[in-house]
Amino acid sequence: MILLQSPSRFLLQILNDRLLSQDKGVDIDCQTVEFDDVRYHIQVSMRNPKVLVLSVALPLPPQEAVSFDGLPFGAIEAIKAAYGPVVQILDPPKDGFDLTLKINLAKLPSEEEQKNAILVHIASIREVVLGAPLKVFLKNLSMKIVGPEAGQPVALVHRPNESFFVIPQADRVIVIYPMRFQDSIDIVLATSFLQEFVEARRTAALNNAPTCMWSQSPPPELKGAPGSALSANAGFVTFVVNPRHVEGKKLDRTVWNLLTFHAYVSYHVKCSEGFMHTRMRRRVDTLIQALDRAKSDAEKLQKLVTGPSFKKMSMKDERERR
Amino acid sequence: MDASSRPAVVIDNGTGYTKMGFAGNVEPCFIIPTVVAVNESFSHQTKSTNKGNWLAQHTAGVMADLDYCIGEEALSRSRASTAYNLSYPIHHGQVENWDAMERFWQQCIFNYLRCDPEDHYFLLTESPLTAPENREYAGEIMFETFNIPGLYIAVQPVLALAAGYTTNKCEMTGVVVDVGDGATHVVPVADGYVIGNSIKSIPITGKDVTCFIQKLLKERGEFIPPEDSFEVVRKIKETNCYTCSDIVKSSPIDTRRALYKSQPIEVNVANHPIQRYAVWFGGSVLASTAEFYGACHTKAEYEEYGASICRTNPVFKGMY
Repeated sequence: MILLQSPSRFLLQILNDRLLSQDKGVDIDCQTVEFDDVRYHIQVSMRNPKVLVLSVALPLPPQEAVSFDGLPFGAIEAIKAAYGPVVQILDPPKDGFDLTLKINLAKLPSEEEQKNAILVHIASIREVVLGAPLKVFLKNLSMKIVGPEAGQPVALVHRPNESFFVIPQADRVIVIYPMRFQDSIDIVLATSFLQEFVEARRTAALNNAPTCMWSQSPPPELKGAPGSALSANAGFVTFVVNPRHVEGKKLDRTVWNLLTFHAYVSYHVKCSEGFMHTRMRRRVDTLIQALDRAKSDAEKLQKLVTGPSFKKMSMKDERERR
Repeated sequence: MDASSRPAVVIDNGTGYTKMGFAGNVEPCFIIPTVVAVNESFSHQTKSTNKGNWLAQHTAGVMADLDYCIGEEALSRSRASTAYNLSYPIHHGQVENWDAMERFWQQCIFNYLRCDPEDHYFLLTESPLTAPENREYAGEIMFETFNIPGLYIAVQPVLALAAGYTTNKCEMTGVVVDVGDGATHVVPVADGYVIGNSIKSIPITGKDVTCFIQKLLKERGEFIPPEDSFEVVRKIKETNCYTCSDIVKSSPIDTRRALYKSQPIEVNVANHPIQRYAVWFGGSVLASTAEFYGACHTKAEYEEYGASICRTNPVFKGMY
């Protein structure tokens, strides 16, 4: 797995299970937590087995991030546009959550392919809600609409108490991530990962990918942003998204990949740590083998005869040691 | 937000199946076969290329590093292509291949549960006869690779008892007969402590039952395509096999008097409706209590003392 997938595996599994066994089903009441503190609560009651209640809690937005009634702006419209009559938004949401949806399984389209598509889409609720503002900017870019906030950095939440910045311009959108990691080893690995990432972009095969830059200090575009948002221990990554990156079907994928860029880097940092440990274990194994080979036959035989090398200490030895 | 305010991740790695999910739920999120399919074609390729081309070798190694999958996906992938090699990291309840195990956990966390391991406490399980070194290894991988804030390694039979704790009034004393896919143990537990020197292992496991049914079917001449045979037999076993609920009552009537007499204590065979993941459920119950976070080995402790903090399991200490 190179990229993180947009639909939540667990949500999709529950939705599919529910459709397959609607009659003999039991009550469901379960919670799950995804990366960046997105929490889901799924409830199905046997009194109404065709209705699934899904509550979603979003990461806590930092001060500078723009939000509207606790949700990212454009989220409500995005939900309505994406799901149509299948999903109904309950107001107010369940206690402790930011959004509660009532999913009516009876209203799903009967055609298999369409049904599956909409289920996958429901499982991607995270992309729809958190990605809504980003999608608005990128859509404006593809339709060449210049919004009132052109040239100004807009902060959007992507992790608890952390935001990334979007600067919409007439012919491109600049996206800037302050990268922060907790562990000191992670910081080092992430920094070199990002430098390699920028380097890899320069190869011929990736000529059409968005331009990518990395710097230790905040880029000049972020002048005027609050100080707390500008401290990052693993530097700043900048992407320049052009209209060709958000054409047609590419739009949703671009939104998801930009939205989860930090999680993507963090996943690969963990993977490289795992890879290094594998290498280290292999090295230790070969060294132990080399040591074993170095032993003479007599030594091996002796070991067999005497068994474990215990030595009983006498009182005299003890005294000498002191 | 502090990690202890989020639900802990509970992963029960069995020889046959891995059960994983979040504490507080009644069911694991996923039950998948404990198997990893690794694409070996890259590593063979690297051996044949000459030494000068280290960059190609390096990229091939890096690519192979991420080209693998686990669970049902691994089984279907290996059926579809010969490039993938299956490896079962756990044999007879013990982890044998730590590389595969680390990759397995990596996929469990990032692809299945999709959580950030730094955000959650973890509860792993071990068979009662796990060597201290293996426990250290698990701790090392969890703290070093995944940077988890806290780890608790629970003993499977104790968790199975904990699962009964909520279903009826049951206390934490009893004998657990844990018949897994790869290991069978009879484990006496007193007040939540394992009596280590009385553990008995029986070399007959769930896999043997599966093989036995497979043989029966073959002898009857049922036609089952060989590639599906194992799956079919497993389904038969899981849906139709049962144990007698009272050993004494099912024995011939003339022997019962003697059996009752010789029986020192009352035998109470508990049979959960959630057999398949009773251990996981016990873990979920345990990890949702407030005391759980206090009993965990924390990252700070690991950094101070090293992997040796995982060496001993306190549940073995009660009786000495």
